[in-house]
Amino acid sequence: MKKSLLAAVAAVALLLSGCSSSGDSAGSADGFGAIKVALVPGGAHPYFQPWKDGGAAAVSEFGIGGTAFNETGEWDQTKHNAAIDAMAAQGYNAFGVFGVSPTDINTTFKGLKDKGFAVGSLASCPGGYDIVKEPQKNSADFCLSTDTGKAAYLAATAVIKEMGGKGNLVHLTGNAVDANTIRRMDGVKQAIAETGGKVKLLTTITDIDSDLQSATKAVTDLLAAKGKQINGIVTTAYNPAVAATDGVSSTKLPIKVIAIDDDQKILDAIKSGVISGTVVQNPWGQGYVGSWVLAALGSKKCTMNTPGLYVDSGSFLVTKDNVDTYNDTRQATSKDILKAFQTEYMTCK
Amino acid sequence: MKLKKILNDQRVVLTLLTIGLFIFFGLRNSAFFNVDFVIYPLLRDGATLTVIGLAQLCVLSIGHLNLAVGRMAAVSALVAGASYQYWGLTLVQGAILGVLAGALLGAITGWIIVKSQVNAFIVTLAMDFALLGLVTFIYVTFTGATAAFTTKPAGMDYWRSKSLKDFCVAGICGPKSIPMMLLPAIICLILVSFMFSRTRLGRELLSTGSNLRAAKLSGIPVENRVMTAHIFSGTLAGIGGLMLAYANGSFTAAIGSQVMLPSFLGPVLGGTLLAGGAVAVLGTFIGTMMTLVIRQGLSVQGIGLETLNIALGLVLLLALSVGQIQKMFTSIKLRGKK
Repeated sequence: MKKSLLAAVAAVALLLSGCSSSGDSAGSADGFGAIKVALVPGGAHPYFQPWKDGGAAAVSEFGIGGTAFNETGEWDQTKHNAAIDAMAAQGYNAFGVFGVSPTDINTTFKGLKDKGFAVGSLASCPGGYDIVKEPQKNSADFCLSTDTGKAAYLAATAVIKEMGGKGNLVHLTGNAVDANTIRRMDGVKQAIAETGGKVKLLTTITDIDSDLQSATKAVTDLLAAKGKQINGIVTTAYNPAVAATDGVSSTKLPIKVIAIDDDQKILDAIKSGVISGTVVQNPWGQGYVGSWVLAALGSKKCTMNTPGLYVDSGSFLVTKDNVDTYNDTRQATSKDILKAFQTEYMTCK
Repeated sequence: MKLKKILNDQRVVLTLLTIGLFIFFGLRNSAFFNVDFVIYPLLRDGATLTVIGLAQLCVLSIGHLNLAVGRMAAVSALVAGASYQYWGLTLVQGAILGVLAGALLGAITGWIIVKSQVNAFIVTLAMDFALLGLVTFIYVTFTGATAAFTTKPAGMDYWRSKSLKDFCVAGICGPKSIPMMLLPAIICLILVSFMFSRTRLGRELLSTGSNLRAAKLSGIPVENRVMTAHIFSGTLAGIGGLMLAYANGSFTAAIGSQVMLPSFLGPVLGGTLLAGGAVAVLGTFIGTMMTLVIRQGLSVQGIGLETLNIALGLVLLLALSVGQIQKMFTSIKLRGKK
């Protein structure tokens, strides 16, 4: 019995030692057509869906070999690395990645770079240092992401204005131990500090972006317990934004809300006046610009002037006034960012 | 007859099934045979999950569960990470401290179970919640916006990226496909296997899991053995937590948050009984590898998230049923002979 078991194990060992790398094609391509861009978010989330359209637009416009979207990371860095490896095994040779863990993802980027791939950090930059001051610590070629602190500040300033510059504000956000969340919290605190004490941060509720159900429960509990004390809600994560919109709509409390992102429910609530506005990010632009930059780097057509450079992908305040036109503004901004890469951030042959 | 006997061994069937699946996925898409992006990472992840599976196996042996296995891994990583960042300890010194923290947590858990006589399920669930809060609090308080310990001691990247190819004796080097990370897992497998199969302690643990009352009447210090099993579990969870941190690159609160279910999957697929009294140490490795081969095999085929999880569930169900199907055929044949 034991002999047979050992034989089976030996067979696996033989198979493993006999296997060889199929090799990668990074660097061998001489044009965009040879570049296949893998867009790999940390897991499934509505925020990343526009990456597909952005990537597809870049493929048809610039003749990139193709883009593929893989959301099987399930918000676990180990599974996320496995998803990236699966794409590399399939021949993808340029990677636009949202790291699950900002402090771990640099290690993943380094591994990809060591194998000769072009790598972009999309929608989030590696954590553990100030990327603006020390871009050389970013192991990816560049980072194209929302300035989360700035976006949160923009949202908080807008809701404080709607509140008449005074009252109690609540901040709803995501994972408390995520560096981006901490930047968002700092952005909101900065806006509140500028009111000179007229606005008070009633509470900050974290860890409610994993799913809509958790966010809805948190908002329902909040409004039931403190609804009458709250003058404004600022949300800096997707699920709490949808939940806050629903909550304020159903309770009809006179609370001013600035949401985040552009879920249809949020846009409808802005049009009907239930909430004051939303701060939209630019995932389409991340997919579109990111794919071009990765193709340009992968094909050796261009090189980064500052490796690891951080570029803000933009955040836009949407209110009743511009709810029908903001997407045009966002796409125009994406083209401007692309132009800045082509003329300012990169040197191209 | 001999072949039939061999095929009745669940570990052999699982090994053959895993190899079969590996070859199947490779034939469907040759990219699956890629050493750098498939085989090496598969074995590295398999090594980590095997150690965490062994942590679960130790308490399963006495019929207990450890729902805090992932969080114990997180605490060990936290202690090691803090020791590297604040006290400048070497890789080994920090690792020892981290593993000791895991062992201490295991001891506390075992002590609470013994003294309170509360079910291990409840105690470890409570421990999981308490440690989740503690780990989050410490990272947020001490590391600010980073929410992680990022200092890498010398040698940490070696364990993540090196293989036996970098380990040469007399000019002969090992295969590129075997990660260095597999070595601690193999050592753990050997030690745990030796304990359960060759030592009195191992037999007493299994007797405690098999029938607590009978074990007590036989003079086995069962309360002591409950403590021992949980200490082993915490220690192995600690080693697993360090391996996760070394593999991913930093020490974060998320370490271990996704390993609770896989910690059961490997041992149970391998033949360990949830009720206690029987363990399958090598089976834990084979079971773990099989789930990873299925997952990565489907992923390399380019299957989307929903389909991937449905297919993974179906294949695992089929694999878990293999033993039952074998028993069914055996009993039909025996009835036929009668």
